[in-house]
Amino acid sequence: MAGEKIRRRGRIPQTFIYLGKLFRMFIFQSDWKVLPMSAVIAGLVAFAVGANLYRTMEGTLTGCFALALICIWNGFFNSIQTICRERAIVKREHRSGMHISAYVAAHMIYQAFLCILQAGIIIAVLNTMGVKMPDKSLITGYPLVDFAISLFLITYCADMLALMVSAFCRTTTTAMTVMPFLLIVELVFSGAFFSLPQEAMILTNLTASKWGVTTLCSQGDYNSLPMVTVWNSVVKMKDMELEGQRPIQEALVYVEENDMRDQFLMDTAKQNQKPEYNFDPDIPLKCWGYLVIWTLVYVAVAVVALEFIDRDKR
Amino acid sequence: MIFSGDVMELVRSLAAYMLTSVGYWKIFEKCGLKGYWGFVPLAREYNISLCADREEEGRVYTIIMAVSYLAYVVNIAKLENPILQLIIVVSFIALFITSIIYKVRIYIGLIKVFDRKKRWIWLFLFFEALAVLIYGVSSKFVPNRKVTIYSGLDGAKVSGIQAGSIENGLSVNIEKRTAIDFFRKKILLQDIHLNIPKGHMVLLLGGSGAGKTTFLNAVTGYEKADASIKLDGEDVYEEYTKMMYDIGFVPQQDLIRGNDAVQLTLEDAATLRLPSNVNLFERKKRVKEVLEEFGLQSLKNTLVEKLSGGQRKRLSIAMEYISDPKLFILDEPDSGLDGVVARGLFERLRAIADQGKIVIVITHTPDRVIDLFDDVIVLAKDAKRTGRLAWYGPVDEAYSFFGKDSMEGILLSINQKDEGGEGLADEFVEKFAEYHKEKVG
Repeated sequence: MAGEKIRRRGRIPQTFIYLGKLFRMFIFQSDWKVLPMSAVIAGLVAFAVGANLYRTMEGTLTGCFALALICIWNGFFNSIQTICRERAIVKREHRSGMHISAYVAAHMIYQAFLCILQAGIIIAVLNTMGVKMPDKSLITGYPLVDFAISLFLITYCADMLALMVSAFCRTTTTAMTVMPFLLIVELVFSGAFFSLPQEAMILTNLTASKWGVTTLCSQGDYNSLPMVTVWNSVVKMKDMELEGQRPIQEALVYVEENDMRDQFLMDTAKQNQKPEYNFDPDIPLKCWGYLVIWTLVYVAVAVVALEFIDRDKR
Repeated sequence: MIFSGDVMELVRSLAAYMLTSVGYWKIFEKCGLKGYWGFVPLAREYNISLCADREEEGRVYTIIMAVSYLAYVVNIAKLENPILQLIIVVSFIALFITSIIYKVRIYIGLIKVFDRKKRWIWLFLFFEALAVLIYGVSSKFVPNRKVTIYSGLDGAKVSGIQAGSIENGLSVNIEKRTAIDFFRKKILLQDIHLNIPKGHMVLLLGGSGAGKTTFLNAVTGYEKADASIKLDGEDVYEEYTKMMYDIGFVPQQDLIRGNDAVQLTLEDAATLRLPSNVNLFERKKRVKEVLEEFGLQSLKNTLVEKLSGGQRKRLSIAMEYISDPKLFILDEPDSGLDGVVARGLFERLRAIADQGKIVIVITHTPDRVIDLFDDVIVLAKDAKRTGRLAWYGPVDEAYSFFGKDSMEGILLSINQKDEGGEGLADEFVEKFAEYHKEKVG
């Protein structure tokens, strides 16, 4: 009929076109390789720091920090090159009527699928290697589900940050140059492992590592765990003599003979408890909230950046 | 004491700045630029890059210097927030290092323009004001080239003749296409008026930088110009979201995902480009037709990355052809193809034009396939480096108009002298305007 408006496929059908492409790439191309890679990295980290995870305060902090970094590493690698490697194709398709939001939505769904698998793989590897995991639930009633959601959200937040970088960078070389810089920022500004000046602490709110470490520590009831650093230091000093006597050794013998070692460990831990790692459902919820907010911010920025793709020169 | 130290530092910086400015002033005059820019921050950084024939680097250098000046001013304000202080100091160091690299590149260019030995760079780096003064003041230092400011030149006259509008075909009336390039307004295209009837295959000819791609982008509505573009009487700019599906644009590179099969690639293209009321059965049928028409049926399950250059090009064209566009535009479809394959491809394009479509093609080897074209559009850079229409009409008439017997000969006549051409662009632009005026009446 003359003058009848011709309708084209909207954002949702277009999202499915690109999802199809991405899943075909996952099967037939090298995208699936991120899964075994995440298993290998989880295995290495479990071997290095798994022994004391959720058993001592120090082991938990180190372990949670390492777990958060595995997730961030996985997230970064999943998507750092995805858009920039096909930027010219995206430009052509945008010219042919592709909606950028549909394209990014397809990536969001596909990357969520990868991140869920990676969170599952990490848990499977930790379990296989006998690493202790949280045994009390704060949110869902299932501690492993809480733990899996945290791992997923950290991975996904990092993944979307990398997607945003990929949307900005014109070449894969540029994206791969930016990635280590972002990793350093996540590492330094986690707020957990490196002492930062008070003024710089506000910057930690920008990182997935801070919210990741916080939620993982909280879920593992960090403040109920013993602290071993002081005990180990005292044991190292046991041979120290003072006026011909060894008072530290005597004290240690007294503690051991009276079966007070665990109390000593718990007492020292009590002095080093951190309220931000309390076993309180509000803490993981707040952390998850921040991770979701940052994820959405990264996605929004990626969409806006790609809307300007037509300005790319030939 | 601290105060007097600060004053001394300020005096020293000012003296160095003034000496450098005087040197720049004289250098700019030698290069054909206005000397007073030497005293204006940022303008002097950009202009020295023009003298050094390093404009690209100069743009980056100017931006770096703008941010550095800003950081310097903020630093003077002595912020109390330690985080901000830290950010400014770190940024300042990073900018300083970058600015040194760009400065070296620009001064090496300047040394080359003044035909001096590269070791002069050390003087520029460690005693900048002295080196600049020597280059500016000494009469022994003479540049081997002058900076050309195209905006100051007179280009070919504007005809102002409109092409009117045709109901069956493409009407192009471009008054102007401008762009802001580093804070300066540039006219990329001007005064292009033509009508292309349906069923015509048109060659778009023009030297490097003549505005061929800009012209195509303006015609397709992808980059809007001060223009009226009508396809079958419908305004492309006003109805862009609808008309974009009636225009197929095949880019020079084969921008297709290599890790997808040929049929799946076409099916996705069909889903994206065809109207939503076309059902799955009809889409599959259309994909089958296009696969057959472009000789890709036997390759339908092959991965794109396994295709040859010619096959990939055919797939790239098929992706646009699938929505049955009225106007078909191809940017160098024969690049990287040998003569026989290229000929086959152009014959296929001729067949598409014979279906009643308009086909516009850019190619750098037109003479081997010129017999397949109906018309030729010749775009030429005038003295102001603006893309102008030097000819639009039948191929055989183009030969007599330019007095040449090949398309390459025509291209040579309109190219500027500094590009190895005959530099007759302005002459032909004005001659065509007269010819057009006579024809239109």
